[in-house]
Parts: sequence; structure tokens; C-alpha cells
Amino acid sequence: MKKVIALALAGVMTASAFAGCSGQSNTNSSNTNQSSDSGATTAEAAGGDWSYIADKGEMVIGITYFEPMNYFDQSGNLTGFETDFATKVCEELGVKPKFQEIEWDSKEIELNAKTIDCIWNGLTITDERKANMDITNPYMENKQVLVTKAENAEKYSTAEGIKGATVVAEKESAGEEVAQGEDFFKEASYVAVDSQAKALLEVKSGTADAAVIDYVMSIGTLRDGSDYADLKMVESQSFAPEQYGIAFRKNSPETLQKVNDAIQALADKGEIDTIAEKYSLKDLILVKGK
Amino acid sequence: MEQFLNVTQKLLQGFGENCIIFAVTLLAAIPLGLLVSFGSRSRFAPLRLLVKTVVWIIRGTPLMLQLFVVFYVTPLLFGGIKFDRMNAALIAFIINYAAYFSEIFRGGIEAIPRGQYEAGQVLGMKKSQIFFKIVLMQVVKRITAPISNEVITLVKDTSLARVIAIPEILKQAENFSAQGLIWPLFYTGAFFLIFCGVLTLLFSYVEKKLDYYKG
Repeated sequence: MKKVIALALAGVMTASAFAGCSGQSNTNSSNTNQSSDSGATTAEAAGGDWSYIADKGEMVIGITYFEPMNYFDQSGNLTGFETDFATKVCEELGVKPKFQEIEWDSKEIELNAKTIDCIWNGLTITDERKANMDITNPYMENKQVLVTKAENAEKYSTAEGIKGATVVAEKESAGEEVAQGEDFFKEASYVAVDSQAKALLEVKSGTADAAVIDYVMSIGTLRDGSDYADLKMVESQSFAPEQYGIAFRKNSPETLQKVNDAIQALADKGEIDTIAEKYSLKDLILVKGK
Repeated sequence: MEQFLNVTQKLLQGFGENCIIFAVTLLAAIPLGLLVSFGSRSRFAPLRLLVKTVVWIIRGTPLMLQLFVVFYVTPLLFGGIKFDRMNAALIAFIINYAAYFSEIFRGGIEAIPRGQYEAGQVLGMKKSQIFFKIVLMQVVKRITAPISNEVITLVKDTSLARVIAIPEILKQAENFSAQGLIWPLFYTGAFFLIFCGVLTLLFSYVEKKLDYYKG
């Protein structure tokens, strides 16, 4: 009998010791998170950033689903401009693309934790992002547009009209910068939400008056037959033209060079224009063939 | 109609992920919780203190944070070591729920009157016999209600796995709303309601079955 108890106790102790370890790492890790970040990236530079991807034979591409960039078609296949574009570039580079859905808020952590190799999902190039990640040459242009219910489109086309209105945008997006920074919105009150789709949902349900979203996003969502078809872009107002780039881990000079070259090569063949045409984005393409 | 079927299919696919997390967490967390509850009742003070501290940490921090820690911290600290997203979610859920279950078990075990143990001793039973043959069944009966509470909470908590990008049902629904379709987001409620409804019926059946066993 004593043996049984001793055995059970031993079991409990090992179990709790294990649980203890994971519990303790809880507290440690949250403190050291920041410093380890930079440590991982410097170590990587020595190892050769491109060979890491090439050795795996696949590039894990972090995306979120939205039309017309990455979305599912009628038969359930992943399609969209970025999907086709990334597939072509990977073909050029001789690696397989693997699309991994991520939470947009965690994109930098995902990149540093190497759970993805790049963010390729209509990422706006900003100084802040350039400081934290290696971003390719801009390949596409975008702007921020103001979206509101169709009946209010007239009213909100002037700074006078938008006084006191509630404006929403995705937090930490280019839209947020516009809604908080532009003089046009000075007298409006701003609310941050967690995605562009939520911003539209707020306007649609009337909990907010207007949303600042990507022009590219508006193409996919405001079309006829969509639930948002009764929302309208305020034609006379558009803000802060911006540029899209593909973000890689900091200190990835080789990868950056290779991807930039591959994109240029595709542009020279006219393939980027062909893809863009398919999703009616041709006007926005910045890389021109020679 | 075709759209409805398409949406339902996608959401079911997402709900499959929720069900996996639910089932595995439940199967692993209940026995682990029982072990932990022994630890927190141990007469060996350092073990008791350790277990109690762990339970405090797990119950005292958000499950969302624990998911982040399990999935991101090892690769950030040690480079190459990566968990599969689902495995990371399972680990976080199992540890979290085991901590909660252990407290329920502890409460249940401590609520059994001394007399029950003494009666067992009088009958000449061994300690393990007393626990498994007399105490445990009474504990099970007493804790059915609080456990069912936790289990139903777990069904809905599985949605938290989305923070490490597991394509669970709410995430699937939000993908539809990013494509201009709003109603799937609210339709997800039906899946949870039905699932919890079945669980509620199941638990009331179990309670009825255990009713003969007057504690």
C-alpha cells in the first residue's frame, strides 16, 4: 500500500514540477520579451537570411483574408491579387509559397518568432515599420477614403459637415493616422476598432458615422451585392496616398534583394500588369516593366 | 441558398477547430486537475506551496496572455523551437482549465465529512479503497454542477484561440464580413447555443443518474 501512495506522490510531484516550469516561464518571459526580440534578429543576420528560407524550400507568407487581395473564390480556392502575385514571385525564386493566416495585430511577433517569413497583405510602408522590418520597394499605391452611408455622403464631404461625427478606423492603420492627423477630421471624434471590416460594420449599423479605410479594401467590399452596398465612398475626399511593400524580418538584405529583383523581372515580362488587370487594380501598380 | 450552404460549411469547418480544442482540453484537464488538487492538499509543505503558486499564476493571468506565451515565447527566446499552432493552443487551454478544475476538486474532496473516512477505517478498508470507493463518487456528485459551469465556459473560451490565428468559427465569420457579408458573424451564435444546449441536457441527465447516491 505504501508503495502505491509513494508512486502516486512521485507522479504528482513530477506533474507539478512540470506545471511549475511552465508557470514560472510565464513571468520571466513577459519581462525578457523585448530584449530577446533584438537578440533573435541579430543572430539571424549571421546565419544568412535567404538560406533559411531556401533550405526550407517554402516561404511562409502571413496574410489576412480580404478582397481583392487574399480571399476565397466561389469554389473555395484562395485567390486575389496578392495570392497570385506572391505565387508568381515564389515561382521566380524557386520556393513554394505557403499562405498562413495571421492576426494582423501580431504580425511583427509572428515575423520575429519565425512562424511566418514575410507579411504580404497590402502592408503600408511607414517609417515606423521600416525601422522594425525590412520592407521591399513599393509595388502598389493606395490611398485612404472616407466611407459613410449613402444618404450622408453629401453632408460629410466638407469639414463643416463632419463636425461632431464619430469616425472609426482600424487601430494602428494608415486610416487611423488620417482620422487623427488630418485637419479635416479635427472636429470629429475618433474611435479605433480592430479591423477595417469592423469599421464598416460600425458605419452600417449606425454606431459610427463614417469610416476611414483603404481604397483597395473599398473596391472589394462596397460592390453591388455586398452587405455594404448601401455605403458610399465620399468621392471628393481622399487622403494620404501611401505605398504597399512586402515586409521581411529585420536584417534580411539577401532576401530583400532577391524579392526586389524577382518583382522587377515579373514587371519586365508584363505579368504583374496581367494579374492586376484581373482584379481591376492596374492603375495602382507602381513597378513598371522596362 | 447556395451562399447559406457555403457559409454554413465554412463555419462548420471552423467549429471543428473549436470542438477539437474543447474535447482534448476536457479529456486532459480533468485528470490533470485531479492530480493538481492532490498536490494542493499535500501534507508536504513545499509541494503544496508550489502547486498553489502555479494555480495562482494560471488563474491570475488572462488565458489570452497564456496563449501568447505558449506560442510565441519559445521561438522568440530559443529561435528554432516552434509549436504547431493547435498544439500551443491545447497546451495553454489544458494548463488553464486544469488549474480551475483542481480547485473544484479540492473543494469537493474537502466537503466530504470526516465520518466517511472513519467509517471506511472501521470497515478495515485501505486508504486508497476509502478514497476511490467511498469518497470519489460522492465528490463527483457534488461537483457536477460547478464542473458543468466550467465546461460550458470552455465551449465559448475556445474562440480565444483565434489570437494565435487558429481559424476557429469566429475568425471564419469575420473573414466573411471582410468580404462584405455580415450575417455569418451573428449566425455563429447558433452553433454555440446548440452545442451548449446539448451539454446542458447531458449534464442534467448525469445529475439525475447520480441522484440515487445521496451524499
